[in-house]
Amino acid sequence: MTWVLRMFSTSIGKKQLMAVTGLLFLLFLTTHLLGNLSIYGGSPAFVAYAEHLHALGKLLVVAEVGLVVALIIHVTLAVILFFENRRSRPVKYAVDKSGGGGRTFSSRTMPYTGLLILGFIVVHLTTFSHHIVDQTTRNIFQIAVAVFSQKLYLAIYLLGVLVVAFHVRHGLWSAFQTVGANHPKYMPFIQKLSIVFAVIVAIGFGSLPLAILALR
Amino acid sequence: MSGKTINLTLKVWRQPGAKAPGRLETYRAENISTDASFLEMLDIVNEGLTLEGKEPVAFDHDCREGICGMCGSVVNGRPHGPERETTLCQLHMRHFADGDTVVIEPFRARALPVVKDLVVDRSALDQVMAAGGFISVNTGQAPEANSLPVPKDKADLAMDAAACIGCGACIAACPNASAMLFTSAKVSQFALLPHGRPEAARRALAMLAQMDACGFGNCTNHQECEVECPKGISISNIARLNREFIKAALGSAEELPVIK
Amino acid sequence: MELDSKIPGGPLETKWERHHFDLKLVNPANKRKYEIIVVGTGLAGGSASASLAELGYRVKTFCIQDSPRRAHSIAAQGGINAAKNYPNDGDSIWRLFYDTIKGGDFRAREANVYRLAQVSNLIIDHCVAQGIPFAREYGGLLANRSFGGAQVSRTFYARGQTGQQLLLGAYSSLVRQVARGQVTMFPRREMLDVVLVNGQARGIVVRNLVTGEIERHAAHAVVLATGGYGNVFFLSTNGMGCNVTAAFRAYKKGAGFANPCFTQIHPTCIPVHGDYQSKLTLMSESLRNDGRVWVPKKARDTRRPHDIPEDERDYYLERIYPSFGNLAPRDISSRAAKRMCDEGKGVGPTGRAVYLDFADAIQRLGKAEIEARYGNLFQMYEKIVAEDPYTTPMMIYPASHYTMGGLWVDYNLMSTIPGLFVLGEANFSDHGANRLGASALMQGLADGYFVIPNTINGYLAGTKFGEVTDSHEAFKESEAEVEARVQKLLSIKGKRTVQDFHRELGSIMWEYCGMGRTDEGMTKARKLVADVKAEFWENVTVPGSHADLNQSLENAGRVADFLEFADVMLLDGLARRESCGCHFNEAFQTEENEALRDDVNMAHVAVWEYAGEGKEPIFHKEPLKFEFVKLATRSYK
Repeated sequence: MTWVLRMFSTSIGKKQLMAVTGLLFLLFLTTHLLGNLSIYGGSPAFVAYAEHLHALGKLLVVAEVGLVVALIIHVTLAVILFFENRRSRPVKYAVDKSGGGGRTFSSRTMPYTGLLILGFIVVHLTTFSHHIVDQTTRNIFQIAVAVFSQKLYLAIYLLGVLVVAFHVRHGLWSAFQTVGANHPKYMPFIQKLSIVFAVIVAIGFGSLPLAILALR
Repeated sequence: MSGKTINLTLKVWRQPGAKAPGRLETYRAENISTDASFLEMLDIVNEGLTLEGKEPVAFDHDCREGICGMCGSVVNGRPHGPERETTLCQLHMRHFADGDTVVIEPFRARALPVVKDLVVDRSALDQVMAAGGFISVNTGQAPEANSLPVPKDKADLAMDAAACIGCGACIAACPNASAMLFTSAKVSQFALLPHGRPEAARRALAMLAQMDACGFGNCTNHQECEVECPKGISISNIARLNREFIKAALGSAEELPVIK
Repeated sequence: MELDSKIPGGPLETKWERHHFDLKLVNPANKRKYEIIVVGTGLAGGSASASLAELGYRVKTFCIQDSPRRAHSIAAQGGINAAKNYPNDGDSIWRLFYDTIKGGDFRAREANVYRLAQVSNLIIDHCVAQGIPFAREYGGLLANRSFGGAQVSRTFYARGQTGQQLLLGAYSSLVRQVARGQVTMFPRREMLDVVLVNGQARGIVVRNLVTGEIERHAAHAVVLATGGYGNVFFLSTNGMGCNVTAAFRAYKKGAGFANPCFTQIHPTCIPVHGDYQSKLTLMSESLRNDGRVWVPKKARDTRRPHDIPEDERDYYLERIYPSFGNLAPRDISSRAAKRMCDEGKGVGPTGRAVYLDFADAIQRLGKAEIEARYGNLFQMYEKIVAEDPYTTPMMIYPASHYTMGGLWVDYNLMSTIPGLFVLGEANFSDHGANRLGASALMQGLADGYFVIPNTINGYLAGTKFGEVTDSHEAFKESEAEVEARVQKLLSIKGKRTVQDFHRELGSIMWEYCGMGRTDEGMTKARKLVADVKAEFWENVTVPGSHADLNQSLENAGRVADFLEFADVMLLDGLARRESCGCHFNEAFQTEENEALRDDVNMAHVAVWEYAGEGKEPIFHKEPLKFEFVKLATRSYK
């Protein structure tokens, strides 16, 4: 099976692993958002959702392990690609171009938004994960209220969500492109979907603490 | 045809040789007709330098019709200058204003080292082509030309991809100095034609392996290549190469070649 | 100098096949024992390198560009002819042969031209198999169009960039052989001498254009595919690097130079617009399929084209040549444009231009269709001229484009030096005094893919080779000469640039040896060129050193050769006592100002032999025998 390793250590192979793991995170973001939107049903609905989720038991563990593995792959490759790409142009241009119009703010900042997201995930898990935070004495709603009442944390969270949105704005269409899904009829839609999805992520997740604080 | 002239300040990268250090030198370009091409403007500057007993600026160029792919420098941060789908030789001075400062640098990438001044070594592109950018048919073997029909839409897409002039602007433009647009254009041309299908898997893997070995960066879909390509080659070709890679890597018996 | 054309006997249709059988073969296992040098990587050189390597020969290929993919064949736009007769419009090998030999004003060999027509179909088969994306119909089959000077649709094309696609096809076959190790590629090398041992071409001396090193390369045979000499006019549609040096060095080593005065002036180029200009841009001849050429009826009419009413326009090609109209062959159209401008009817700021108008075609077919056919050409025109050809008629004027003359070769494409073969535009063989549209690509590929791989076997198998390495005395001498010349150019340190001299030479040649020639003019030009040459060697300045990339030095060497070569061209023009094809001596014309051929005295190939420094070259002729076609006056009326 060394051929698998060899294939996926090519530049395209690495990128496709990035893309597939990235798509996995997009899927996760979607379910995460859908689930969390139960907040709008009030505290009982939100708590019930959390309990249903935890009731999945082993299935949840499998999903969690899957996400962690995907994260390790995504981050490791990101670091490798970042340094490889820096090395590929040892002498920089005196004039950094302006006005070409290919790069976007999102695409330019992918490695940095990625790094910020990694930090955010750590903070987010330490404040919410049932593996870390004791959820037996307080339910998830109470925990959320407590956390979001801290101004600093609220700011970090909102910033984190924004960073995720920018990462996703390039990541979504880019992942499709990288796995080869570029078709003249569908690509314009996927391009737009990237932006729409990013906005949904920003508004969807961004509104959650506000809803929680309003409902408390 | 306007008969107007302009004066410019040029900052040109001068580097005596591959190993020597380089720097930007400032020159004046005076009374340049706005109908002159960018390279003709450089000719005029070079004539002046020659008469002053200085070495003229070395730059690659040949057909001056935008098709040979020999010319190309980075002008104010943009490969082949500011106009879309225009090679440097087809860029005319009417797109500059009197008094402009124009910074001219060579294409920069680890895989395209500077030879002298604005001249770079693009042999890596030939190596990528030699790895698989062909259909293995010997002279004399071909069947009758019309024996294999090609759907017109496929033939047109193949032609779009085949329009690549191999200038290297995509690499120069890419923030990662990736050669994916160049490589994918050739892979696409042959992948789209029935004549090229028999060795499609081998070709995709071989050209990819060679491209990586040459030290180009990785594609991260910035789309800069497409924007700066003087022939408007689409990044949908990159997606096609990505697809061809999956087919080859997972769906064929071909192995990734080892590049020495 | 003996000029044995080695044309096989027998019926025209079977000459080539019979010749195949008569040629000796090299055993497949022995082929790897032979080394062949190919200089140039255009259509002819690229295809020859690939095909010879496929056969098993060890090939060393040289080009002056950074990559073999950049040779100037790449700029050919329109298409490539073949006698496939797909459109069912009456084409045949015979008709392609006849059109080509007639188009060349009966100054080419029947056998060569017939062979060209015969292999034309094989070229299309091969190129399609190589993955060249030719234009296709909706059914998926190949499309054809008609092209300048032909009444059938036999031209295959890939948008407006057929040359590019064919060249990249040859290049891909070439790099495939590089990867197999059968071809060793030497880019950025300029051939500065061919080395003869015992009278045989056994190698070349080149300058490495990056390091400045002079290198020696030995082989069993040398193939030159180094293109034409159109840049003798300074302004031409050739690439900036196109030059006569390789061919001229071979000439100086004893290869006969044939018909140097046959240079083609292409009718549809963007007019000259400034003295800073470095080159002229061709607008594909295919534009004449839909565009109508006209000038104002009144001389010195300065109105804008739109303000000139229909009945005050002279669609002169349609008027003078009703059956061919705007599709009249290149030489005819070019001269007609010149005549109009000479009469003061030229348009544009310089008065040296005629209109090419698409208004009717746009009305008939719609703008979308015109855009589909010529979009890239219109775009190119707009980029250069900054006028929109959809709304304002294009301005065009003839420019130097192609050279039919070249090194003399026999039926095997071997020059008068044994072992020195010459292909493509560099030889003189197939186009006579004028080349028809879409024939250059055909000839380059015919020579490289199908002729040389067969004929070189005969030479190699039939020749005894002594052991020759690059340390042979002949290489040392050649290298010393080349070195000395390089040093000489650098040491003059005069006051004028190389380009300045080149421009001066070009204007003399264009004035006196361009579209219209006279004995007085050409005689005067010889004197003028001699003066420029003399000044060049005393007053040129070449900055930089010999030991690195020095483009001024490269150009200096090329211009020095053009200056010497120009005299051979003028001599040839003077010696041809007739007008034919592109060679138009005003003393020989019909009452209607058309070329007046002299088939009794001038049906020959004029071949010039180098006689030594400062001596007039020696004139030889190869009579042209026409056994199968009747010489007719070319009429396109």
